Amino acid sequence: MRQAGTYSAILMGGIAGRTGPHSLPLARIKKIMKRSGDDVKMISGEAPIVFSKACELFIEELTQRAWMVTLQGKRRTLHKEDVAAAVMATDIFDFLIQMVSDSNGGQMAPAAKSDSMVVER
Amino acid sequence: MADGIGSSPDSEGQHNNFYTAQGASAGAASGDGGLKEQDRLLPIANVGRIMKHILPPNAKISKEAKETMQECVSEFISFVTGEASDKCHKEKRKTVNGDDICWALSTLGFDDYVEPMRRYLQKYREMEGDRAASGSHNSRANSVDARDEVRGEQQRYQSSGAGQLMFNAVERNNASTSRRL
Repeated sequence: MRQAGTYSAILMGGIAGRTGPHSLPLARIKKIMKRSGDDVKMISGEAPIVFSKACELFIEELTQRAWMVTLQGKRRTLHKEDVAAAVMATDIFDFLIQMVSDSNGGQMAPAAKSDSMVVER
Repeated sequence: MADGIGSSPDSEGQHNNFYTAQGASAGAASGDGGLKEQDRLLPIANVGRIMKHILPPNAKISKEAKETMQECVSEFISFVTGEASDKCHKEKRKTVNGDDICWALSTLGFDDYVEPMRRYLQKYREMEGDRAASGSHNSRANSVDARDEVRGEQQRYQSSGAGQLMFNAVERNNASTSRRL
């Protein structure tokens, strides 16, 4: 269900995407990278560009997984608890567990039954 | 506390992204607001737009969900950068480059992302190579700063529709050859 339109169009020299090739601000990405650690001193020009794509893919994946939880709850509005549930149910998002449980106060949406989601990677 | 235009579902259009004028409010989520929040997170309007595009048209996204996603993305960037930076450190290299990011993503389990990103990176490098070969000024893409960000935003809305990669946006030269694609 990945939207291939925008970026594959650009890669193939087709219609430019509505959001432009960098939908995320490069300077901000670079700032966040620098904050990640003391030994991050020099960042090549291409690294934020690569990240803008990676972040987009990340947002898409987490959003889609969260939406699955929303649908299970027969709702049409994606809530942060759905995002939290998607994080809990996906191995590669383990690094986010602390963050989403902090913001949730340790609670998850009642509809989030991770055993009914097949989200293995 | 002003939410900023980006958080309203109806106005999540392209008009919200002129950070120069609206930087103070566009990135601020709930909480302390101010500069710290802006530096730490990606703008909610951009994040919200990406989310919206991947969901069905009837889907709605709560503001809190977008804020949570902002936090998650920043955490993602830190996490991957940390891994890439460790590798550079071990290999006694000072600069984290695109390949390091790809490697880190693969190591951390995001191998699905690697292929699209490598293609993206390759395209970018080809374009840079073209520009260098055509004798224009050296690429200034390394010096990404606030001004480039602004220019990038302005550039975006002048899309020629030719599908060019808009890395030109961070260029300081305006050579017409850079628009060849």
